[in-house]
Amino acid sequence: MLDFNLQRTQGNFALNIKSTLDTPVVGLFGPSGAGKSTLLGMIAGLVKPHSGHLILDGETLFDSQRGIDIPLHQRRIGVVFQDSRLFPHLNIRDNLNYGFNLLATKDRRFSFVQIVELLEIGHLLLQKPHQISGGEKQRVSLGRALLTSPRLLLLDEPLASLDVRLKHQILPFLRRVKDEINIPMVYVSHAIDEILYLTSQIVMIEQGKLLAQGHFHQIIHQDNLQNMAYSLGLENVISATIASHDKVYASTLLTQGKQAIVIPQIAAEAGTQITISIPASSVALSLSHLDNVTIQNQLQGFVTEIKQVGYRVLVMVDIGESRITAEVTTKALEMLNIAVGSSVYCLLKAQAIRAHGFIAS
Amino acid sequence: MNLSFFILSPAEIEALLLSARVAIFCTLVICIPGVAIAWLLAKKSFIGKSLLDSVVHLPLVLPPVVPGFLLLLLLGSQGLIGKWLQATFGINIAFTWIGAVIASAVMAFPLMVRSARLAINQVDTGLEAAAQSLGAHPLRVFFTITLPLALPGIVTGLILAFSRSLGEFGATITFVGNIEGETRTLPLAIYTYTQVPGGDMAAIRLVILSMIIALGALMISDLLERRAIKHIGRDLREKGSA
Repeated sequence: MLDFNLQRTQGNFALNIKSTLDTPVVGLFGPSGAGKSTLLGMIAGLVKPHSGHLILDGETLFDSQRGIDIPLHQRRIGVVFQDSRLFPHLNIRDNLNYGFNLLATKDRRFSFVQIVELLEIGHLLLQKPHQISGGEKQRVSLGRALLTSPRLLLLDEPLASLDVRLKHQILPFLRRVKDEINIPMVYVSHAIDEILYLTSQIVMIEQGKLLAQGHFHQIIHQDNLQNMAYSLGLENVISATIASHDKVYASTLLTQGKQAIVIPQIAAEAGTQITISIPASSVALSLSHLDNVTIQNQLQGFVTEIKQVGYRVLVMVDIGESRITAEVTTKALEMLNIAVGSSVYCLLKAQAIRAHGFIAS
Repeated sequence: MNLSFFILSPAEIEALLLSARVAIFCTLVICIPGVAIAWLLAKKSFIGKSLLDSVVHLPLVLPPVVPGFLLLLLLGSQGLIGKWLQATFGINIAFTWIGAVIASAVMAFPLMVRSARLAINQVDTGLEAAAQSLGAHPLRVFFTITLPLALPGIVTGLILAFSRSLGEFGATITFVGNIEGETRTLPLAIYTYTQVPGGDMAAIRLVILSMIIALGALMISDLLERRAIKHIGRDLREKGSA
């Protein structure tokens, strides 16, 4: 368990965050410049807070009032950096062994072979860092940190400098580490999909302040997150249950209350509860059920509210157990004569629906 | 001109060997303090840092005669430290080859420090932080990360210092004189030959020899640097790309 209350001022930027993290994996999310890396740096011991305290599993690592500041190398907190930071003069084996060799045998929770096999990096051991790919570097960097048997693993945007294809290759390894290795992790990213792939426990920060903390599905509807939800295309976050898979059409059928929703096929068993989302701008409205259209999801509901947010017109539709927000133009609204109480069909393109926690194939 | 022109006289061989000995000892002597001071200047901030920086660099901007004379005042048999050394240990440094080593060490020191400091500054601090996060004490980080990565620059500094020592003239002649077989290094020997009638041929021989040694040192420096960079990998040149 990590408990902290940390402050640091740098020029115009002031960071002041107090929180307790007690779930195995926490996603630290926020836009660029929100202070994510600074916060992570203060936890790791890379950046010195100006005031506050930091307690990991009952041990005080930092306390400005009591004058405690355990140095970085004694904190036993592993860090995986965005730029991997492998030592260029050492081969992969020596990079992996760097911290491992400093650790007393009794403190070693994993064997060298175990980590190498988990991350599938055995074939790289004799290479130098500049000879391997960016994705491989991050796996080695992860392995190097894991081998020090850290009490906490901090991942600072580990995929940010990789392209989409490589990201999709590394994410399963991160999940494997999460599932097979019992080390608490804090995963920092400005890509919400990455975080949701690993955990639904989120800490959201913005401009150095804690915005919200908790289960993603519960906090995303908070009023103070609406602007962020909009900028992320997360106006519609819905829980649904997998009903069946259609192998012929490579799609998965979900049920949400009495509504049925079709999405591109995902790898999960029937009965699994999942979270899906669709941006409001990808939802169209129709007054009647359409037959000659490719859109398969046509969810009937009633308009509960119409609101103007800046230039946008948002129409809230009650579809039974949940609510869907559609973004439409004023002209369309007037032409169709949609008003509060109207019966409408929400048209959701299957391909526009994101299933959180799954890699789009 | 026949081939016998290239055969060195015993006195010339003595000057050559003495120069080599002085330069080698000078390089060895400044190696560790040079890296230590370079590290201090590159990584630490402390009171008097700019003063230390200036003092280290002083021999580079002063006429060599000045440090030579100061050394004489300090370490000469009547000097502050020299007198004490003579009285306590019976050691006399002035007018010995060891004095020549000290004189060229003082003159070569700034070159060594500049080069090593630059090299240490260029080591990615992110790598040092990563090493610490893996549990390495800062001292271990220095020896396993900083030093190996700064090695090309440190080697360059040592070669520069070695070459500077080979060429040292002003401070040496002021501090330890021009004693044949004891303090008469190559430059001093060349100077001496140019001052005596009929010494031109010997002077030219030593000039050619000096040029060969200097070129050799530069080539070895280049070779070592290239090998070190190859060892470190091209990542050093692509800092920041993962």
